[in-house]
Amino acid sequence: MTRRRSNHVGAKPAGPRLWSSIEELSGDPAFQAWVDAEYPAAAEFTPTARRQFLKLMGASFALAGLAGCEKSPFVAALPYVDQPESETIGVPRIYATAVTFDGYAQPVIATTWSGRPTKLDGNPDHPVTMGRSDVFMQAAVLGLYDPDRAQAPTRRGEPATWQDVVAAIALLRGSWSKDQGEGLHLLIGPQSSPTLLRQLDALRKQFPKAQIHLHAPAGGAARRDLMAAVYGQPLDLHYVLDDCDVVVSFDDDLLGPGANQVRNARGWAASRRRSSRQPGIRLYAAESVPAATGAMAGARLMADASRMAVLAEAFAAKLGISGAASGDLTPAEQGWIEDAAKASNAAKSRALVTSGSYGDVGTAIWVARINDALKSAVLKFSQPVTGPSDAASLGDLVADMRAGKVQTLVILDCNPAYTAPAGLGFTDALKQVRSTLHLGLQRDETGELCEWQLPLTHALESWSDARAVDGTASIIQPTIAPFYDVRSVHQIMAMLLGEIDPAADAAVRQTWRASFGGDFDARWQQALYDGFVEGALPEVSATPSGNAKSEKPAGKGLDIVFRPDPTIWDGQFSNVGWLQELPKPLTTLTWGNVVTVSPALAKRLTIANGDNLEVMIGDRSVVGPAWIMPGQAENTVSLSLGYGRKRAGRVGDGLGYDAYGVRPADQPWIAKGSLRKTGTNETLAVTQLHHRMEGFDLVREVTAAHPSLAKQETPPSLYPPWPSAKNAWGMVIDLDSCIGCNACVAACTAENNVPVVGKDQVIVGREMHWIRIARYYEGEADAPRSFFQPVPCMHCEQAPCEMGCPVHATEHNSEGVNQMVYNRCIGTRTCSSYCPYKVRRFNFLDYRAPPQSPVHAADNPDVTVRSRGVMEKCTYCTQRIESAHAAADKENRGLREGDVVTACQAACPTRAITFGDINDPDSEVSRLRRDGRHYALLEELGTRPRTTYLARWRDGGGGEG
Amino acid sequence: MTGGLIVVKHSSTGQNGMAQIFSPAADTWLRLFLLGSLAIVAGGTAGIVGFARSAYITSTDFRPSQPVPFSHRHHAGELGIDCRYCHSSVETAPRAGLPPTETCMTCHSQIWTNASMLEPVRKSLADGKPIQWTRVAKLPDYVFFRHDVHIAKGVGCETCHGRIDQMALTFRAKSFTMEFCLDCHRDPAPNLRPKDHITDMAWKPPADARATGEAIAAHEGIRAGELTHCYVCHR
Repeated sequence: MTRRRSNHVGAKPAGPRLWSSIEELSGDPAFQAWVDAEYPAAAEFTPTARRQFLKLMGASFALAGLAGCEKSPFVAALPYVDQPESETIGVPRIYATAVTFDGYAQPVIATTWSGRPTKLDGNPDHPVTMGRSDVFMQAAVLGLYDPDRAQAPTRRGEPATWQDVVAAIALLRGSWSKDQGEGLHLLIGPQSSPTLLRQLDALRKQFPKAQIHLHAPAGGAARRDLMAAVYGQPLDLHYVLDDCDVVVSFDDDLLGPGANQVRNARGWAASRRRSSRQPGIRLYAAESVPAATGAMAGARLMADASRMAVLAEAFAAKLGISGAASGDLTPAEQGWIEDAAKASNAAKSRALVTSGSYGDVGTAIWVARINDALKSAVLKFSQPVTGPSDAASLGDLVADMRAGKVQTLVILDCNPAYTAPAGLGFTDALKQVRSTLHLGLQRDETGELCEWQLPLTHALESWSDARAVDGTASIIQPTIAPFYDVRSVHQIMAMLLGEIDPAADAAVRQTWRASFGGDFDARWQQALYDGFVEGALPEVSATPSGNAKSEKPAGKGLDIVFRPDPTIWDGQFSNVGWLQELPKPLTTLTWGNVVTVSPALAKRLTIANGDNLEVMIGDRSVVGPAWIMPGQAENTVSLSLGYGRKRAGRVGDGLGYDAYGVRPADQPWIAKGSLRKTGTNETLAVTQLHHRMEGFDLVREVTAAHPSLAKQETPPSLYPPWPSAKNAWGMVIDLDSCIGCNACVAACTAENNVPVVGKDQVIVGREMHWIRIARYYEGEADAPRSFFQPVPCMHCEQAPCEMGCPVHATEHNSEGVNQMVYNRCIGTRTCSSYCPYKVRRFNFLDYRAPPQSPVHAADNPDVTVRSRGVMEKCTYCTQRIESAHAAADKENRGLREGDVVTACQAACPTRAITFGDINDPDSEVSRLRRDGRHYALLEELGTRPRTTYLARWRDGGGGEG
Repeated sequence: MTGGLIVVKHSSTGQNGMAQIFSPAADTWLRLFLLGSLAIVAGGTAGIVGFARSAYITSTDFRPSQPVPFSHRHHAGELGIDCRYCHSSVETAPRAGLPPTETCMTCHSQIWTNASMLEPVRKSLADGKPIQWTRVAKLPDYVFFRHDVHIAKGVGCETCHGRIDQMALTFRAKSFTMEFCLDCHRDPAPNLRPKDHITDMAWKPPADARATGEAIAAHEGIRAGELTHCYVCHR
């Protein structure tokens, strides 16, 4: 029933070209019945008798009027005693600072209201991110207000004071100084903070026999280990995608989640837009598990994880690199390699070949040699940004613990009791350590087992520093005073160094006093103002020296690969509701993890979505629900880390399965294993079938041969056009740039007080996100092409919802914004059923946090917090429009381009979203509306949407384009 | 007619003829009932609307008790202190701002230093705890009002807050109903005044109020017709 669409653009497809689920593709009648209801899960509700319905309806109408007779109460007004000079009530203040992720700085501009940070955006002046963000940066603010954070020090679970801590540390220091710190071990996550690294050095100077171990369950550290094997030294890689013409990726999700996502996505999108006649950069991706990179690739090759080395060697052989031999290749592999080699040869030094952080050494070595042979000028190296560089491993630590060599263990910024591979036996070994200190935001699995749990400040309430992925340092300044009895990591390190009550900023100032020199005060102030200190790490040159021996994972069976979760990462964000509820790219799964299998394997083992599978590696196994992943390599099974936590907090506990439980210590990313059905199944909170649109050509494509879409006539309308004000707002979303990363969804959630509804509500289709990333497939389930389409409210000029509302709760305004008036809404949901784009969300329940919850502090005071029974949807960030109007009106001028930036637009790492005034012919949004790739979604309905799209480039592997 | 049918029906069954079930007065009663219902509905509606606009519901008749019996009549009227001395962010921010304790103490550290009624002010300064005022001019949470832009466009303080300079204890002079706001948003001209009279409590519009107002509206670039859509105040 699915047909491939010809390359000829403008041809009407004869059948549904796009599909969004395996069940839809197979034409399952149960599936059709399920989606026929507007809110599909509503079909399962107990039917209400018509008479009872009328009774209830009558009563609600009668009582509705009474709500207007409420007398507004007199409430207290509390002025300051001594108002800070820079504080103006009702005007947000912004600070340049940074949050950290995977040890790297994510430079942010934090918006604070009356001293409460509510919104983080990228720092536009920063050389790496240039103002863009990712989901982790957007959600960091909710982590600050996490009610389950550790709020005071504890000793064996009993409350303690910081005086107790200082006294205990003094005792420990006494014993360390006797034998130069023999038996003192520190286990830390990756760190880029110059201050922390300086303090660690100082500690090792005081206690020379102290040992430091690094533990990174996911992220950049994995690639650094690979590079150490390839280049003979640990290195960070920097892709200069802005100057790149061709990228060939061997299982490298360079556009996927991770510390480099913003930089890579920005560069990739900038290159992609170099020309209006063809895509400016081509991507060839060999992938085992579908990810953003493969979804964006013009030519995607599906290959098992353990086959990457063979492919990389064959690719090297095709490019004529000595020593490379082309093994047996399938025709698909042959074709892909030929195309990629042709493109790489044409691009010469502007070509980049990459291998994944989570791949094997063999692939990495061939890729390094290929880049060396191509003399790739778009691949740069630097010393590792995160450290400490000479740390021992977690395995060494466990061995020492077992041998009784560890007297004191300080665990900093990691959670090994949860994230250590089960085979290591970390928790058992921990019992052999006399004194254990855990420094962390939460009293997590590790904090629970340690003698002392010392709560840390969140980055937004700390003085600290950190380096971005290119090494540019940011000084982290607090945006709020700590509201729990917590200390920063630098304060606790200073205590370990012998200080009694260190000031919060003392250590950071000391670090920078040394590097700023005599001009300290001015440069310190400037660094705080800018949010970063100019200067990336210097480039170093490197040539591959590793022995190109392809080592395959030991054993037989399926390739079991491990991946950090795209929203929860290694589990550190488990208790952040915003991230739990973000639909994960491609699967659109929320609140859990799945075992992804290929459609072919699913057919072989008769697996359906949600069937519980037992995954066995060696003598360990874990049970998780299946997800049939279109486009996954046949014999690859993917497990995602970060779930199955027991001490994450009220949000994150008990969700999903724990992949660390089967993770082999010596093969952390690819292992061989097997699979069996357990016979049980579970319901997954997957959003891909919610809010479905019906129609053709939802996602359109253009090719270099036909770079423009056929112009569509706007259908006539019986309704007169609305008179327009001076400004008329419109949005254009470039489907060629959208990598489906969800940063816009997270930003919208933070900006517009979008509630978190929880797993059960998501299952019945009640998620509240104002913008969704619709994901479509085209082609066969085994190897489909994937498309992302962000869908916010279309703000139709002839909006069906406005005609449907019986109480005028949704209205059109003169600037073309389709307004939603919460106070008028009586919850008939007619508007939602009239909406062809399915962008309206209804508050079925009161989704607000309990009144005493600290998460209310994260609410944007400029946006109403909605209660039960009202409809809501994207407002084009009307609060930002009105603020811009007020600012312009005060200056008695019109609005200028750039005065209004919506939250999703600001967050987008690829600048796929453009917003502006369509009445101004010179605005960016007007220019894009004249572009040949411009089209309106479901234009045939005559709704005349203000949110429109740019078609995606279709660039085939052969460069036929 | 209907009755006749019934009679015929009953007769045909051989029973005694039944009396008419509607008395001659039935029509009158029906008319009275309809009239009465209409009166109740209309009266009820009028009553509800009236009640909703009453001084009780809009709280325009109520002087809430304050921790310090602060008199605007004395400070703004008799002493002539400009509004912006205390409400300092009215020109720059959405909120006019309540003065911090420090502002009170700029004068009251010099005069009336021992007055018992100022004890809460001194205590606030000593303890570092804010004075807990009762808010008088309050809009519902779903209204996002901005002082700064109103001041910038020529709406005087007195237009919404009344003769504050004559209030011993502050009360709400105008009912802050949606109608009150919309009347002006639909037709701002009659309520505009020159920039130098914004805080002038005694300012009276000139004889040609509309012409003056329209001149001000034109000069200030008021976006006539764009100020009545929902998102201007609600979001």
